[in-house]
Amino acid sequence: MCSVQEDDNDVPFSKVRPNESIGRTCMKCQEKAVLITRVNDAFCRSCFMVYITHKFRATIGKTKLVRDGEMVLIALSGGPSSSALLHLIQEGLSERTHKKLRFRPGLIFIDEGAAVNLPSSERLNNCEKMLDTMRSTGFPCCIKALEQGFDIDNIPELTSPSGTCCPGSQVEKDLGTIDHDTESISSDISTATSSVTLNMSECSISSSMEEPCSNSREAIAVSSLSRVESSFQKYEEAEEKLRCLLKSLNSVSAQEDLIRSIRHKILSEVATTCGYSKVMLGSCGTRLAVTLLTDMAIGRGGQAAVDTVFADKRYKNLMFLRPLREFSSKEIGMYNALNDVESFFIPTLTTKGSDGASIEHLTEAFVTGLQRDYPSTVSNIMRTGEKLSTGAEEESKEYCAMCQSSLDTNVVASSALNAVQFSQRISNRAADSDSIIDKSNKTGECCGEGDGGCNTTRTRVTKQQVLASLCYGCRLAIRKIDDVEKLPLYVLKDVFWRVRREKMKSEIEEFLLDTS
Amino acid sequence: MPLKCGLCDKQAILKRPKTGDALCKECFFLAFEEEVHQTITDANLFIKGETVAIGASGGKDSTVLAYVMKALNERYAYNLNLVLLSVDEGITGYRDDSLESVKRNEIQYCLPLKIVSYELYGWTMDAIVKQIGLKNNCTFCGVFRRQALDRGALMLKVDKIVTGHNADDIAETVIMNVLRGDIGRLRRCTAITTGTDGALPRCKPFKYTYEKEIVMYAYFKKLDYFSTECIYSPNAYRGFARAYIKDLEKIRPSAIIDIIHSGESLSVKKEVKMPVQGVCVRCGYISSNTVCKACVLLEGLNKGRPRLGIGKTHKERLKMAEDLNEKGDSSINSQNFFENGQLDSFSEQSSQSGLSCCRSTTAGCSCQTSEICNDTAGIHSSVDQQKINSLAIDF
Ligand SMILES: [Zn+2]
Ligand SMILES: [Zn+2]
Ligand SMILES: [Zn+2]
Ligand SMILES: [Zn+2]
Ligand SMILES: [Zn+2]
Repeated sequence: MCSVQEDDNDVPFSKVRPNESIGRTCMKCQEKAVLITRVNDAFCRSCFMVYITHKFRATIGKTKLVRDGEMVLIALSGGPSSSALLHLIQEGLSERTHKKLRFRPGLIFIDEGAAVNLPSSERLNNCEKMLDTMRSTGFPCCIKALEQGFDIDNIPELTSPSGTCCPGSQVEKDLGTIDHDTESISSDISTATSSVTLNMSECSISSSMEEPCSNSREAIAVSSLSRVESSFQKYEEAEEKLRCLLKSLNSVSAQEDLIRSIRHKILSEVATTCGYSKVMLGSCGTRLAVTLLTDMAIGRGGQAAVDTVFADKRYKNLMFLRPLREFSSKEIGMYNALNDVESFFIPTLTTKGSDGASIEHLTEAFVTGLQRDYPSTVSNIMRTGEKLSTGAEEESKEYCAMCQSSLDTNVVASSALNAVQFSQRISNRAADSDSIIDKSNKTGECCGEGDGGCNTTRTRVTKQQVLASLCYGCRLAIRKIDDVEKLPLYVLKDVFWRVRREKMKSEIEEFLLDTS
Repeated sequence: MPLKCGLCDKQAILKRPKTGDALCKECFFLAFEEEVHQTITDANLFIKGETVAIGASGGKDSTVLAYVMKALNERYAYNLNLVLLSVDEGITGYRDDSLESVKRNEIQYCLPLKIVSYELYGWTMDAIVKQIGLKNNCTFCGVFRRQALDRGALMLKVDKIVTGHNADDIAETVIMNVLRGDIGRLRRCTAITTGTDGALPRCKPFKYTYEKEIVMYAYFKKLDYFSTECIYSPNAYRGFARAYIKDLEKIRPSAIIDIIHSGESLSVKKEVKMPVQGVCVRCGYISSNTVCKACVLLEGLNKGRPRLGIGKTHKERLKMAEDLNEKGDSSINSQNFFENGQLDSFSEQSSQSGLSCCRSTTAGCSCQTSEICNDTAGIHSSVDQQKINSLAIDF
C-alpha cells in the first residue's frame, strides 16, 4: 500500500544550498561581508554585531519580565552558547553600551563530572577553568556539583508546590531588603554590580545546600582552589548515590533525562535560597529545537512548550529564561569567533557514543542533519513550540514530584497511557507485582512537615507511590530502577508528603463538602 | 534453554516488540486481539447495528484489520455489519496484485467487497504519472484515495470507516507535523476518530498497535497479503520522520507509544487560530479551504498544469481560487467530477451549499454557511501565507 497519507505535503522545506559569503557585500552597509546568517543575509562584522546584540536585547526587552536591578542567575556549562550568553551580558552591562541591561547577574556552574565518571583531577581542572572565567567577570559566582542534588532536603510547603527550601525563605527575606536598598540608592551600573557581589559570592563550592549564603555578606572573596579540592571529598557519599542511581536506570536516555531534572532542581534551589528570582539558560534555538523533538520522543510532549519557551514559569516565585532562543548555533559560533569568546569542551554521557547512544543524541544528529539540507528545519520546529500552550494559566494543577511539570497522567480511558498499562497487564502475569517493590509502607514517625528537623527517621515509600506522583516522562525514566530509595531525597520526601496528605484527606473525607 | 511463555509456561516463540515479554503463539494472538478490543471499547468506537466499512488495500495493515474485526465482532457480539471497501488506484501491476489479495480476503473472511475506482475522477494513477512524472505523484495517491474511499462508503451507505493506520503511522504523523510546524494537523492527528463533524467518521482501531506486531500476527496466522510497496515516490517529510522513528525504536521500543502520548497531551494556545472546517465549494467535500485539495489537483490535471496544488505553488492555487470566485464558476458542475453520475449525494450537496455560497460572495454573502464565506474572504485578501500553505484536506 502506498505509504502516503492524505495530509502529506510534498515539498517539505525549501532546500537551499548554503551560500558562500565570499565576494558578497553586507546587506546593511555594503561593506565586505564576513558571514551569512539565516537563509541569505550577508553581514559585515560590525553589522553582524549590531544584529546580534539587538536581537539579544529585544528578546529580553520585549517581554518586560526582567526588572531593573533584579538579580538574575546565569547558568554556565562551559559550552559555546552559555559562554556567548555571558559575553553578551557583560557587553550589555558595560558603560559604553547605549541601551544598557540593568539586571544584576550572578553566575553558576554545575560540575556534572560524577555522572560521566570523570577522574577527579579532570573535574578539578574543569572547575578551575570555569572559576577563572567566572571570576574575571567580577560577578558573584558559585560552583555546584550534580551530586549535591542528593543533599537537597526539602519539604514542599502547603501553598507552594515548587518547594522552596526552608532556610532559604529566611535568606530570601534578607536579600529582599538589600534589593530594595540598592534600588533606592542608584541605578548606576557600577554601584549595582558591586552590591550584587555582596549578595551571592560565597554561595559556592564549599558551602553546603543546607546553609546557603549564610555568610554571603561577609566577603566578596571567591573560593580558593584548595577549597574546590576539599569539596570533592565532601560530596563523596552523594557522588556514590548519584552513580548508583544512574546505573540502576539502565539506559543512557533515562540517565540524561534524570540529569536534566536534577540540574534544574539545583539551579532552582540555589536561585531561591540566594534571592535570585530569574535563572537564565544559555540554550540557543538549535538546541531548543532538539529539546522539543526529544521531549516528543520521550513522552514529554505536554512539557515541550514549557521546556522551550522564553519564560518557563513552572516553578513558583522563580522563572527560567532562555534569551538565546532566537539564535542558531551557527550565529553563536560566529559571535564567539568574532569576539574571541572561549568555550570549554566538557564531556557528556554521549560524547563518545554513536548517534544511537541516546534518544537526545539521536535527535540532535537528526535535527542538525536536516538543518544542513533544509535550513528552515529548526525554525519550523520552534514555530510548532510557539503555538503550544505552556499551561501556565492554569493554576492549582498537580505537578510531578521529580521535574515539577504539571502531571500529564490523568488521562481519559482511550489514551496511550492506558493502552501501555493494558499491554503490560495482558502479556505479563508478573506485571502487577512488578510495580510494587515489596517493602512495607512504613510511614515512620517523621511528621514530614515543619522544618524537616525530624528527618532522622527514614521515610519509606513504595515504587507505586513514587510512580503515582510522577509525570509520564519521569515514570519512563525510572522504569528500570530496582529500588526507589535510590532517588534523591527531595523526590522521596515530596512523595511521602503526598502520601500523608492523601491519608489525611481520607480520614476527614466524610466531612468535606463538595465545592465543585 | 528455551524461553517459556510468560503467561502459560508453554515454549515461547516470540518476544513482543511492544513490551519485550516472551510469549507463545496462542498467548500472543490473544494479547494482540484483546488490546484491539480494549482500544475499541475504551474509545466507544462502534454502536450496535452499525455498518462499518473496512478500508482494504490488500496490504498487511488492512488485511489483519479485516481479520481481527471479524473475529472480535463475533467474539464480543459487536453486532456490526462489516464490509470491505477498496480503492482501485489504477497503477499497473500494483493494482492487479493488491486487488487480487483483497478479493481473496472477500472469500476467506466472507465479507462483501466493494471496489471504487480513481476513474471516478477520470484519471488513473498511471495517467497522472504520465503527466507529472515520478516525482510528487504520491500527493495524488493520498488525496484521491481518501476521497474515493469516502465516496465509496457513502454509496454503500455505511456509518463508519475503519482504516489500518497503526501506532507507527500515527507517531510518524506527529513527528512530521512537528517538523513542518503544522499545529492544526498536529492537534488532530492523534484523534482515534476523525470526521465526526458531519462527514463520515473514520476510526483507527490499530492506533496503539505496533506495525511489527501486525506483521507478526499476519506471519503466524499465515494471513494472505500483498506486501509490495507503492512503486511511486513517497513524500520526503514522512520519509524523514519514518527513519527517525525506526532509529528511536531501536533505542527504546516504547518510543512509538511515548510519541503518541506526547501528541495526546499537547495543548494549543488559545490565541492560535485553527482552520475552520468548511466544505469545498466545488465538490462539497469537507475541507478547511474554499477548494479542497482533490479539486485543486484535479483542476491542475485537467488544465495541463499538474503541479498546481503540489508543495509551494500556492500562488497558482490562489489565482485559481480567485478565478473561481470571479466567474461564479458556472463551468463547474458535478458531472465533471463524477462522470457516471452515481454519486448523487455529493452532487446534491455541492449544489446546495458549495455553489450558492460561491456565487454570492461577490455581492455579500447571504447564505448560512458562514465558514465558507470566511474562507473565501481569506483567500481574496490573503496575507496569511500560513493558511494558504496548508491548503489540504484534513487528516
Ligand atoms: Zn555592514
Ligand atoms: Zn516529571
Ligand atoms: Zn502462552
Ligand atoms: Zn503512492
Ligand atoms: Zn473539492
